[in-house]
Amino acid sequence: MKDRVSVDQLALLYLMLVMGGKFLSLPALLAGDLGHDSWLSVIFSFLWDGICLCFLLWAIRINDKSKLDVSTILDKSVSKPVSKALLAIFFVIFVLRINILLGSCYTMFSVTFDVSTNWIVYLLPVAALSFFAIAKGFNAIARTGQILFGLILVSVVALFVSPLAEADFGQLLPIGEAGWGKILLTSYTRSFWFSDYIFVYFVMDGIKIKKHVFTPMLVSFGVGAALSVLLNAVFVALFGYLAPDFDMAMSKIGVFSAANTTNGRWDWLTLSVWLTSVFIKVAVFAFCAYKCLEKIAGAHFVRFNWIAAAIVLLTLTLPMFASAEQLLNTVIKWGVIPFTLVQYLLPLLMPLLTKTAQRRTEVANE
Amino acid sequence: MKISFDKLQKLWRGQDDFRIRELNCGISLKAVCLDTMCDDAKVSAFVLQPLAYVNADAFSEVERKLAVGTGVRKPPNLFAAAEDLTNGYTLVFDGEDNCISVDTRTAVGRSIAEPPTSMVMRGPREGFVEDVKTNITLLRKRLKTPDFKIINLTVGKYTNTAVAVCYIDGIADKSVVDSVVQRLESVKVDGVLDSSYLARYLDVNRTFLFRRIGSTEKPDIAVGKMLEGRLTIVVDGSPMALTVPYLFVEDMQSPGDYYENSAMTTLSRILRFISVVASVLLPALYVCLQVYNYQIIPLRFLITVLNASEAIPFSPLTEMLLVLIVFDILREANLRMPSAVGISLSLVGAIVLGDAAVQAGLLGAPAVMIGALSGIGLFTMPDNTLILSLLRLAVTLVGGFMGLLGVIISVLAIIVYLASMQNYKTPFLAPFAPDIPEDRQDALAQVPVPQMKKRPKSIPNENGDRRG
Repeated sequence: MKDRVSVDQLALLYLMLVMGGKFLSLPALLAGDLGHDSWLSVIFSFLWDGICLCFLLWAIRINDKSKLDVSTILDKSVSKPVSKALLAIFFVIFVLRINILLGSCYTMFSVTFDVSTNWIVYLLPVAALSFFAIAKGFNAIARTGQILFGLILVSVVALFVSPLAEADFGQLLPIGEAGWGKILLTSYTRSFWFSDYIFVYFVMDGIKIKKHVFTPMLVSFGVGAALSVLLNAVFVALFGYLAPDFDMAMSKIGVFSAANTTNGRWDWLTLSVWLTSVFIKVAVFAFCAYKCLEKIAGAHFVRFNWIAAAIVLLTLTLPMFASAEQLLNTVIKWGVIPFTLVQYLLPLLMPLLTKTAQRRTEVANE
Repeated sequence: MKISFDKLQKLWRGQDDFRIRELNCGISLKAVCLDTMCDDAKVSAFVLQPLAYVNADAFSEVERKLAVGTGVRKPPNLFAAAEDLTNGYTLVFDGEDNCISVDTRTAVGRSIAEPPTSMVMRGPREGFVEDVKTNITLLRKRLKTPDFKIINLTVGKYTNTAVAVCYIDGIADKSVVDSVVQRLESVKVDGVLDSSYLARYLDVNRTFLFRRIGSTEKPDIAVGKMLEGRLTIVVDGSPMALTVPYLFVEDMQSPGDYYENSAMTTLSRILRFISVVASVLLPALYVCLQVYNYQIIPLRFLITVLNASEAIPFSPLTEMLLVLIVFDILREANLRMPSAVGISLSLVGAIVLGDAAVQAGLLGAPAVMIGALSGIGLFTMPDNTLILSLLRLAVTLVGGFMGLLGVIISVLAIIVYLASMQNYKTPFLAPFAPDIPEDRQDALAQVPVPQMKKRPKSIPNENGDRRG
């Protein structure tokens, strides 16, 4: 089966997704809201994520015997119309998240690498890669992650280490100055764009479980969380005071690097290697968005549907009309309740829903 | 169809080498053979001499007399008889269309020699030849066990090529054996002139890029692969045996690896890997760094590059594409030329032509150097030189148009493509994707042979223990 993955592959891919997205624009967004306390917000958002991930893993463990996909689980447990509505919300989330990732990458290329291209010219090859990956199956994406993981990890570590000498960790103090309530609220509102575990919903029928589910995934989660918090802390220690005023982000960090140009900007090559994880993340989210359409369309859907691909592609042209930041703020304003439902409430209910779906499937089979 | 002398004679009507010898041994007999395919001495020794001075009452007596030969059999039908005849057997008929075929095949072919494509410093120097029987003998010589099994097939409507599927019973996965045999039996083709014809049919995914079926000219390598659970397919008329399933890492392995020190082997393999990756990416990176992201290049090197390419009338992309294409033309010409001329041609091409182009201001020295370096690197993976050369051109083109974004997207697309491939239950990128730590003992790094206690898990097998 093209979409089957082992727990180890899933854990590695999850870690790559954390490394791919969380470093791109999150530090700057949080710094804009909370100043030097932004790194605390990252800790809280990982707490939310951790709890939801545990419940989702519990559901996967329950689902091991029946291997029901998310659509079937929702169809059988909460009725088909509700299921389709939930999948539609997921679709919107995934497409918007791809847009935000692509927008940040676009900024990175235009500001850091000094290469400005038209959005469509930039988007088409990324979309082509994503659709190629979808056609080849989730398993191919996971294996690609395995091949590139070592390189990406080295590049992330290099991103940490190279500016450490310049970092002033005194800037992290005093802790909690922005107010704990505000820190918590920001970690909630901003987390909608940076919770990476939600892709797991769409592969839960294809996970090969040998022994453990929780251990590899939670180790991966722990490492990802630690790296993210550390990078945010380094970011604040380096540029925290500049971020709100100059819209500083990882996507522009290369511009401010103090590397000696006589020796060349080799740090850009490191950034390029790390960028592969962002494109892998885009491919994973495109896969999930595509799956949402597949599940909503049901039996009318063939293996690779060009109409669905076109819908995903069209929605990815949105940043031509509004910036990623504008999209983000608008959608948080209007979509906070449905997004909270699928991102934070649904995982907590998934074990129960999975059991209900299993029971109803058994009854139907009898 | 029932065997009939008349029908057989009709089939070969008008053929000068179709020879009939009438014998009278009490009963009237006809010995038939194809002159061009038989050895006269064998016809005399195994057919004519045993039947001389015989006064037989029945065909069964003739059969007994002919039993002095080792290859004697009764063909079940006309097609089998015709096949025997084309293979060099002599058919003996009585008046009632009883038939017996005697092996009188001529041994025309070259003798066993060191294969030109797999030369080694240490290790066996025997190579396969074009005769399937000799090739199986070479395998059998190394596998003195009844567990070494051979399934004989015939493929090709007109060539009737003998194909032998070889494996070790108890090691090779039966389902893989069945699957390979099934695929070979289903091949409908006029002729099989070389094993590479069958390689295309054995490739489950019919991929157009990258080799999916292994090939070797060395029996020791074929046996080594069979001991890991693979199958070897020997095709009559081809010195190249096929091996399945096939992994990408096998491209990094060389025939001499197992006869050298494992540390040296590991170093060689890593060098091969680095040179292949660099060969594919170097021209693209050179172009996109020169056009878009020149800041990455160290300042002094950048000045050198700019000075060297200032007067060049082409853009960096065109310049690099020219260098790569010229290099590919030289390589192709070198392959086709007689070996003595080939060496001179490559020297003239590489040194004189390159130098003249730089002197004339048509190409920059850095571009020629990068192109040459990339071209040499490709030869560390000789079986895939053409495919890698094609990829190199494609990545350079994309990098030239789109910069680093293009290079990143191209590399990702290539890896996704490779990662999606699976043949005979074997993922192409194993043991790296999926990650199989146990198999890394003989992937890029190699542990000493005494420490290889387990067969690779990525290759389906029925006995994972190398110690029996």
